[in-house]
Amino acid sequence: MIRRTWRIAGLVLGLLAVTPGGLLAQAPPPIKRTVERYTVPDVTLVNQDGAKVKLKALLESGEPVIVDFIFGTCTTICPVLSAGYANLQAKMPAGAAKIHLVSISIDPENDTPKVMRDYLKRYRAKPGWDFFTGRREDIDQAMRAFNAYIPNKMSHYPLTLIRDPKTGQWVRIFGLMSSSEFIAECRKVGIL
Amino acid sequence: MSGRWSASGLARGAAVACLLTLSLSATPPGKAPKAKAVVGLTPDKALALGERMYREGILPSGEPMSSVVNGDVPVAGTAFTCVSCHVRSGVGTFEGGIVTLPTHGPKLAQTRYWKYPNLSPEERKDLRVQTPVARPPYTDQSLAHVLRTGIDPSGRELNPVMPRYDLKDQDMAILVHYLWSLSAKLSPGVDATSIRVATIVTDEVSTEDQQAMLVPMNNFVARHNAHASGFGTRMYMSIGGKEMQGAYRKLSLSVWRLKGASDTWAGQLKAYLAKEPVFALLGGISYGDWKPIHVFCESHQLPCLFPITDFPVISDTDWYTQYFSRGYYQEGQAAARYLRSLDDPAPTARVLQIIQDGAEGRDLSTGFRETWQELGQGAAKEIRLGKGETMSAASLRAIVQREKPTALLLWTGAEAFEALDGLADQADRPGLVFMSSRQLGAKLYALPEKARAFTWITYPYRDPKDEPAVSRYANSLLAGLPKHKPETRISTRAYAMLQLFQAGLVDMDRNLYRDNLLDRLGMQRDRILPDYLRLSFGPGQRYASKGCFIMQLGPGPVPQLIRKSDWVIH
Repeated sequence: MIRRTWRIAGLVLGLLAVTPGGLLAQAPPPIKRTVERYTVPDVTLVNQDGAKVKLKALLESGEPVIVDFIFGTCTTICPVLSAGYANLQAKMPAGAAKIHLVSISIDPENDTPKVMRDYLKRYRAKPGWDFFTGRREDIDQAMRAFNAYIPNKMSHYPLTLIRDPKTGQWVRIFGLMSSSEFIAECRKVGIL
Repeated sequence: MSGRWSASGLARGAAVACLLTLSLSATPPGKAPKAKAVVGLTPDKALALGERMYREGILPSGEPMSSVVNGDVPVAGTAFTCVSCHVRSGVGTFEGGIVTLPTHGPKLAQTRYWKYPNLSPEERKDLRVQTPVARPPYTDQSLAHVLRTGIDPSGRELNPVMPRYDLKDQDMAILVHYLWSLSAKLSPGVDATSIRVATIVTDEVSTEDQQAMLVPMNNFVARHNAHASGFGTRMYMSIGGKEMQGAYRKLSLSVWRLKGASDTWAGQLKAYLAKEPVFALLGGISYGDWKPIHVFCESHQLPCLFPITDFPVISDTDWYTQYFSRGYYQEGQAAARYLRSLDDPAPTARVLQIIQDGAEGRDLSTGFRETWQELGQGAAKEIRLGKGETMSAASLRAIVQREKPTALLLWTGAEAFEALDGLADQADRPGLVFMSSRQLGAKLYALPEKARAFTWITYPYRDPKDEPAVSRYANSLLAGLPKHKPETRISTRAYAMLQLFQAGLVDMDRNLYRDNLLDRLGMQRDRILPDYLRLSFGPGQRYASKGCFIMQLGPGPVPQLIRKSDWVIH
C-alpha cells in the first residue's frame, strides 16, 4: 500500500515537474488585472524614518496611492517591483499630482527602519516612496486585507495595488509590469 | 537568468517549488570549464573585477552596471545585480513563482535537458535516458549574447525579469570570465562518498556542556549515516532513483579542541584545517568571544553554522558565520527599541547606563548605545564598574541623585540587587530600570520584591509559558541523552542547528559548495524551533532570531515572568 502511494506520488510529481519546464520555454503569462474593494485595517506601521503611521488614514486619504508587498533581502520579485517604482518616480511629469508609493514589508523581523532606508537609497527613491514595517500581527492583517497573505515570504508573488481615488476601489495587478504597462494602468485609474 | 511559470494555487505551487528546487539545484556539476584569460588583465584581477560586477553591480570603471528588465525598465547595478537572484554560489533560486537558473561555470558548460536535469552526462548514458535538449552548453559568445539580449543558445528568449545588460566587450569578457570560474569545483571537505564537517570546543567549556552539544550531534551523524544511499529514491522510480542517489554523502564529524589564549586559536584552526579540510563547521561552543573563530572562518571562506555563543561578531556584511542571534548585544538593542517606542517619551529624557566590566556588560551596553543612536536619540551617559566592583545602596542612591536619570540601564549581575532594593523608596528614582535576564541567570528570580514594579527584564527567548508546547518534540528526542540539561539550552540549540543543517544539506543536493550551503539557508522559510520565538532567514541575514521580549517579574517567592511587550523588533 505504502509502495503504491509512493508510486502515485511519484507520478504526480513527475507530471508537475514537466509542467514548469515546458512553460519555461514560453513567454511569461499575461498580467492578471482585476478591480477589487478592500477594507484597509486600522493598524499602525513604522516607516523608514521610524515614524508610526496609521495605515488606514494613509491609504484612504484621497491622494493617489499605490501599494506593494516586498522585503529587503528578496531575491527576485521585489527588485523588479522596486525598479518599477523607481522608474515610475523618474517618469512622473513635473507638476503632476504626486502618487504616494507604499511598500509594505513581509519580513518585519529583518526590515528595520535602517534596513528600509538603505533599501530605498539603493533604488534612489525620491520623497513620496515609503517603506513600512511593523508588528508581525499588523503586517499579517494588512496582507490579509489585500488578499495577499502568504505564510512563507519565499512563496510570495508579484502584486501591485493601485487605488482609484474617485471610487475607493483598488486595481489589483498580479504579475510584473513593464514601465509602459505601469504608466498605462496609472492613467486608466486617472492618477497620472 | 530566469524563467517564469504561472502558479495557479499555493498548494500546487509549494509542491512544484519543492520539486523545482530539487531539479534545478540538483544537477550534478559538470566538468569545470577552464576560464579564458581576459586580455590585458591577470586572472586574479579579472576575477576580482568580475566578482564586483556579479556581487555589487559595479563596472571596472567604478560606474554602476546598467540593464533593462521587463522590456523597458532601466536598472542601475547598485539597485540589484546578478547576485540578487542567482545568489552567491550561482546555483540559482526559486522564489515567488520565478525560477532563476544556475549561472555557475559547471552548469553553463553542461547541456541542459528538459527532463531529469539532475542526471550527469554519465548517468544519462548509463540509464539510456533520451530526453529533449533544452539548451546546448554555453560558449563565451553565447553567454555574452544571452546577457545582452536574453536569447539563450537554443534560441529561447528568457523571461523579461532577467536583465538585459548593456556591457562593453571588455566588461563582458570580465563578467563571462567570472561566471566560468564561479563554483567551478566542489568545495574542500567533499569527496564522492562523504562530507567532512567539524565542530569546535574551547577548553574552558565544562565536560557537561560539551556533551550537551556533542551527544545530539554524534547521534545525528550516526542516524544520517545509517540511511541507505538511495534514501528517498522511490520518488524517481522511473529512472532507478539515480536523481537523488547522486546527492547522498555520509557525514564525518571531527571535534576541534582549541586550547589556551584566544589569540592562539587562529593558528590552531589553521593547523586543523590543513590536516583535515572540512566543508563547514557545525555549532561549536565557547564561553568567551567568538570573534577569533569568526575572523578565521571569514578569511578561509569556511561556513560556521549556529555556534553556541553569547558573544557573536556583529556585522552587516560578513558572510560565513550564521548565528542564532546577536546574543547580549540584542538585549541591549531591545531595551533601546522598547524605550524609544513608549507612547510617553518622558523616560527617554536622561538615560544612564551602568556597566559592569566584562563581555556581557560590554555587549549589552554597545547594543543599547548603537541602537539608541540609530534611533536618532542623544548620547546616553555611561558609568563603568570595575571587575568585581559592586554598588552599595548608598553609592547607587548618590549616582541617581547626581545624574537624575529618567531611565537606568543596569547591566550588572545580581550583586546590584541590594542597591536596587534601596532605590525603591527613593522619591527621585528613575521610572524604568532595565536588567538582562541572561546576565542575571538563575538569580533573576531573586530580584527584590520592591524593585519588581519598576525593573524591566530583557528576555531573548520565547515566553516560558509557551515553550513546552514548542520544544516538546525536541525534548522527546533529547530526553534520553545522559547530559541533557534543558536550562542551559545547549542541547536544544544543538538540535535546532542540526535541523537547519539538514535542511541546507537537502537543498544543496549535489551542488556541494560552501557558499551554496549559506545560500540555501538564506532561502529557508521561517522556523519555529525551541528557545527562540522565531528563526527567520534571507540572503545575507546572519542572525536568525531578531527580537527580544521585555518582561517583569511577578510577586511572591516563586515568581513568574510576565510579558510586558510584543516581540521587540523595531
